[in-house]
Amino acid sequence: MLMHDVSEKAYPNDRMIRAVQMDNITKIYEETGTLANNQVNLVLHKGEILCLAGENGAGKTTLMKILYGMERPDTGSIAIYGRRVHINSPLEANRLGIGMVHQHVMLIDDFTVAQNVTLGKEPIIHAVAYDEKRAEQLVEDIILRHHFSIIANQLVSSLSIGQKQQVEIVKMLYRNVDILILDEPTAVLTEQEIRALFVTLRSLIEQGKSLILITHKLNEIKAISDRVAIMRQGRMIAEAKTDSVDEYEISRMMMGKNVGSNIHKPSPVLSGRREIFRVSNVSVIKRDSGNPLLNNISFSSYSGEILGFAGVGGNGLTELEGILTGMLSVSQGTLEYRDTDVTKADTRKLRAMGMAYVPGDRLHTGVALEATVGESLIIHARHRLSRIGFMQRKKLAQYYRTLSHKYAIQGSMHMLTRMLSGGNIQKLILAREIDQWRDLIIFSEPTWGLDSASSQFVYDQIWLLKEQGAAIVLISSNIDEILSLSDKIIVMHRGKIVARFNHSTNEVTKEKIGTYMLGLAHQGATDDD
Amino acid sequence: MMQTLGPILNSAVVIMTPLLLAATGGLFTELSGMLNIALEGLMLIGAFGAIVFTHYSGSMFIGILAGILCSMLLASLIATVSLYLKANVFITGLAANLLVSGLTVVLSFKLFGNKGVVSFVNIPQLPLLHLRWIEKIPVIGNLLMGHNGFVYFSWLLLLLCNFVLYRTPFGLRLQASGLHDQVLVSLGLRPAHYRFIAFLVSGFTCALSGAQLTLNLGAYVPNITAGKGWIALVVIFLGQKRPFGLLVAACIFGLADAFSNFAQGSWDIPADFILAIPYILTLVAIIGVSIYTKRKSRIG
Ligand SMILES: Nc1ncnc2c1ncn2[C@@H]1O[C@H](COP(=O)(O)OP(=O)(O)OP(=O)(O)O)[C@@H](O)[C@H]1O
Ligand SMILES: [Mg+2]
Repeated sequence: MLMHDVSEKAYPNDRMIRAVQMDNITKIYEETGTLANNQVNLVLHKGEILCLAGENGAGKTTLMKILYGMERPDTGSIAIYGRRVHINSPLEANRLGIGMVHQHVMLIDDFTVAQNVTLGKEPIIHAVAYDEKRAEQLVEDIILRHHFSIIANQLVSSLSIGQKQQVEIVKMLYRNVDILILDEPTAVLTEQEIRALFVTLRSLIEQGKSLILITHKLNEIKAISDRVAIMRQGRMIAEAKTDSVDEYEISRMMMGKNVGSNIHKPSPVLSGRREIFRVSNVSVIKRDSGNPLLNNISFSSYSGEILGFAGVGGNGLTELEGILTGMLSVSQGTLEYRDTDVTKADTRKLRAMGMAYVPGDRLHTGVALEATVGESLIIHARHRLSRIGFMQRKKLAQYYRTLSHKYAIQGSMHMLTRMLSGGNIQKLILAREIDQWRDLIIFSEPTWGLDSASSQFVYDQIWLLKEQGAAIVLISSNIDEILSLSDKIIVMHRGKIVARFNHSTNEVTKEKIGTYMLGLAHQGATDDD
Repeated sequence: MMQTLGPILNSAVVIMTPLLLAATGGLFTELSGMLNIALEGLMLIGAFGAIVFTHYSGSMFIGILAGILCSMLLASLIATVSLYLKANVFITGLAANLLVSGLTVVLSFKLFGNKGVVSFVNIPQLPLLHLRWIEKIPVIGNLLMGHNGFVYFSWLLLLLCNFVLYRTPFGLRLQASGLHDQVLVSLGLRPAHYRFIAFLVSGFTCALSGAQLTLNLGAYVPNITAGKGWIALVVIFLGQKRPFGLLVAACIFGLADAFSNFAQGSWDIPADFILAIPYILTLVAIIGVSIYTKRKSRIG
């Protein structure tokens, strides 16, 4: 049964303890005048998993930041276990037992896992010194208890995104939180990682904790949550027991309409395709580390063809993205772009030659957070939009209007990029890159953090690019995405290519790819085509 | 050979000390994520304060304390304006430098009726440390001994700084505020807090650095710091933002300076050329270091 009324009496089971009760929360971001939360009510019962869903920019992150003390609401009140509280800093939130894992990882790359976890609550030895040993031990204990795949004294920079997420969770467990908020934790995780995360989350529930989980993925809402709350345009519009609704109902509530599933059937590869980018026998070996990050990789990307790369985090996909885009130099082997040797070319050169690139690490590589939205959007096209070195404001405004309309970017040209919601930042990057493609475009995790309508839009765009003859490289931890879009699929494991599939001629299943991704099988040397 | 090398090394140690002290404090602000170009001004106000108050109080100790106080006051002013009033830290630093160089001239004229060099006859010599048993050690014995207290203090301070930066929670958080301040914010900690303290530390060490200049000379020369605060910034970068890197970098500068002082007096080479040696060396060192870091960070 559905409840569109989110008032007090809407909660049938009053015997349940209310871990969190947020009443009438309104939040306006002063700088931009955005009404991000509009009289929102939210209840979290002890021991339950509540999924918070809603399209990009609906106000989910804002609501959770208010609960975590990072933003102050303009009106409304919060009660934790029935006691009215004022949460004006994350420290206060921690004291109340509330923890939050952010949409974008908040970690220091140059620190170890233990340092990141204990930062702000460091164990002390000899009255003043940081007790590194004890920190590592405490952290290692938590890691072991939850079967995480990280090591306490590892540098965070060497971790995959999935592992970084684990560090974030450990960080909160270290603080002994009792109410844990996770903002889109599954967005960048692989299927296996998501399954592992869910196991962790369930074990947290067994320990009596309560969770709020933000996600755009309907199947996850069904799989893990007890209740689901849905926001749209700053309002809480519906709230229901997960059992009582199906995926279609949820998506209808989110969008106000039904959204079909994202499955495309790959069309046959265009004839007359040209080889655009060739990677030959490339290895990347990091100094003072034995295992090569990439081990003798060869493949080619053709025009009008989508080449998908699948792999579990930490198996070379990040490095692959690096060498294709000139961000990482290769140790051995050669790279050719339209028959020009680009082994030593940097990103600037590759881009000048016609490469477009949607990076996985959007906040560092994709945009400058302190730049305005307009600036972020036109960074590549500044020559086109300027005359004798001066920007032409009118042209810029028009360019922005066109793209923001086409990609449904919510925001204005003059606000700072960091003020956009997570999904809108990604749309901004996609708009910029898709608009400037010439013959090669590299997508890394293109739909990370997008709601289903936006994801669908991106798939359509990729599809269109293919029809227009772009050579597309798609690196994604989302197997469904890889399967539904790619013409060819390459599976990576431990920096090696372990399998190649020609998806347009042979049916490939998710399970098959999964076994290769986990290194359970190896295809021997087969031909590219 | 030893006859000429000995004095050069000895004077190198004295020359490098103010650089090392200022760089040590500057390292704190640098790691906290603030470009502190006010090192120069902080040194100058410390230098002026230290000798003036030594003169009036008759106690070098009180003089130095007063110099430290002046410098730390200025540092907290810079920090307040740039951290809490959100002014650009580069502009505030520049303003502080200009303010101090004007203020010291005005005060020197008001107090001593002189805008030029003011020498103080009642300032005692800085005591030099001699330990017989260390001096007996061949080669380095003489190098280690016979310096004033600032020299030894700068070494101690460097050790302390290394400890604080890498072995304490404070150091960890300080670095975090420089590397990714939003992480601290998300944990409910205030980056501005650590940056403020970093400014205070830089005020403290710069005051010592300046005090050594004036007290060693027994006189106040207008603009006595002569760009040493800026060179200290270079030392921080050359030293790869690591305490012992600072030591090496400051050493290089000290040696270059000492050598050019020596060569001026004894060799028949144009003085202009010799005076340029430290700067040429700086350039070479900077290029060398950046090549080295690039190599190191590269994969493969
Ligand atoms: N710091 C800020 N300053 C100004 N506006 C902001 C700021 N943070 C968010 N907003 C705006 O508030 C609205 C809600 O943003 P929020 O991040 O809460 O959305 P969300 O539901 O988390 O979206 P997504 O699924 O894309 O992450 C958006 O329109 C966004 O642009
Ligand atoms: Mg969000």
